[in-house]
Amino acid sequence: MDSKKSYSLPGGFINSDSSLPWLLPLITMLVVFAIIPFFYNIYLSFHEFVPAKRALLFVGWDNWIRLFTDEVFWGSLKVSLYYTFMCLAIQLVLGMGIALLIDSDDPGFGIIRSILTLTLVIPPAIAGMIFLIMEDANYGLITWGLKSMGLIGQEDTILADPTLALWGVMLVDIWQWTPFMVLILVAGLRSLPSEPFESAMIDGARPFQVFRRLTLPMLHKVIAVAVLIRGIDLWRMVDYVFVLTSGGPGTSTYTLSLYAWQRFTFVQWGYGATISLFSLIVILIVGNAFIHFAKVKW
Amino acid sequence: MNKVLKQVLGWFTAAVFFFPIYFWITVSIKKDKDIFALPPKLFNFDISLEAYEEVFGISRFLYVEDMGAVRPGGGDFYMMPNLVDSIIIALGSTGLAMLISILGAYSLSRIPIRGQQHFMGWILSTRMMPPVAVAIPMFFIYKNIGLMDTHLGIIIIHALMNLPLAVLLMKSFFDDIPKDIDEAALLDGASRFYVFWRLIVPLAIGGIAATAVLCFIFSWTEFIFVLILTQTGLKTIPVVSTSFVTSTGTAWDNMAALGTAAIIPAFIFILLVQRHLVRGLTLGSVKQ
Repeated sequence: MDSKKSYSLPGGFINSDSSLPWLLPLITMLVVFAIIPFFYNIYLSFHEFVPAKRALLFVGWDNWIRLFTDEVFWGSLKVSLYYTFMCLAIQLVLGMGIALLIDSDDPGFGIIRSILTLTLVIPPAIAGMIFLIMEDANYGLITWGLKSMGLIGQEDTILADPTLALWGVMLVDIWQWTPFMVLILVAGLRSLPSEPFESAMIDGARPFQVFRRLTLPMLHKVIAVAVLIRGIDLWRMVDYVFVLTSGGPGTSTYTLSLYAWQRFTFVQWGYGATISLFSLIVILIVGNAFIHFAKVKW
Repeated sequence: MNKVLKQVLGWFTAAVFFFPIYFWITVSIKKDKDIFALPPKLFNFDISLEAYEEVFGISRFLYVEDMGAVRPGGGDFYMMPNLVDSIIIALGSTGLAMLISILGAYSLSRIPIRGQQHFMGWILSTRMMPPVAVAIPMFFIYKNIGLMDTHLGIIIIHALMNLPLAVLLMKSFFDDIPKDIDEAALLDGASRFYVFWRLIVPLAIGGIAATAVLCFIFSWTEFIFVLILTQTGLKTIPVVSTSFVTSTGTAWDNMAALGTAAIIPAFIFILLVQRHLVRGLTLGSVKQ
């Protein structure tokens, strides 16, 4: 069969050796997804819906001034930062521990790794539901367990308590995404060459020394990628707080994304867009700086 | 470390992470009195499939007595239409994302462009955008062009959401295939599209399947776009499952039945592509 004839499309467009026709659909979609919303957000951040006139009017810098004087915004920024860094640290340390434990060819460990993949495909909103019933004030399993062990008082609750609520939310994230770290780190551990470890054993190095001097440096690229992707998703998280606390009690568990969404539903479209734009700019700067300094390559 | 101790700790870890899933499944088949029992009944409860019947109308001939009137099983908690919505959206957005990303990724892998690193960086940057920051402007754009509250609108936004993953992952799979194959075929006079469609795509089929499964799962589990960009026309499972929480109480058994039904297909899919899972989770950057 003459390949050239039978597979030429009209005008030979896609047969082109230039990359433009191949990339055109992708570029179009990315412009729609990334460029237009970005500029539309900037536009919205200088406008606000005025109920009296039932219209979106130009308000200058009002939204940005409001942003930097709004206590709830600063609170939600603090919650987002705390949530991101705490979860990242816990998931990384816990994930590394579990990865070292189950990095083994012995029978059974393949099944253990398979079980750990399961949490990753649960819709986060449903993962939130699972913990909503387990952390319920009256008949929740976790609440009951903590009370039985005397860690919280008989009248205490988790999700209605300003100091505990955020940890109640973080627990879901740690449960669902620690396996993400585990699987990536196990893959990293499995790809390491065995010679340096054998010679270190012969030299009589202690396990902790081997870990610090050999394993960690050799894994640094894998760790950087895992931290980057997890960090992005932690910063963007909204499902868990939406389901578990809706930002409460009070405003103690508002994250930036949830607060932006909540302002949006209160028809403060311009202000909601301003908050989400702020959140977007922060993650773009921090994410790209991380890629640059950690030398992550795609 | 001792081998037996390692086994014990390994299985203990797996049990801890599996426990909430097990508990959720038991809620879906428990009766109310056992759901609220303390200490929790983990094994010794009566099994009832009523919640599934209400949610999926498995038994269409089951009639329940409701305020004196007899109506078909199902009622307020009948979620079959939402399951169909979820399937349409996940399949449609996966198809769209794969079509665009395979073409783009092949080109990025084989025909380098000027500023390729910047272009890749741009793709990665779109992966960082918080969904809220995209959904709020999209709400107004969709309102104007009539895509609000439609399947097509959600299919497009989910495809867009998955594009960075799909492109970067597919590029890494194409990069694994030696470029000599393309070059030899091109020298023999084959066209670019023939090389792509007849030689490279069949070789990358495992990677394509893995990428498609991940796109499907991320669309299946997505929450905030559907929440903001739909009103009454459609609701996917993650969003509709929040509707079981009402002011008069929460229908835990129904919610768990829907949740269980939603996660089991995802479990099967993910176990099928486990070999490529880590590569997928790291957008093609860490290979197993």
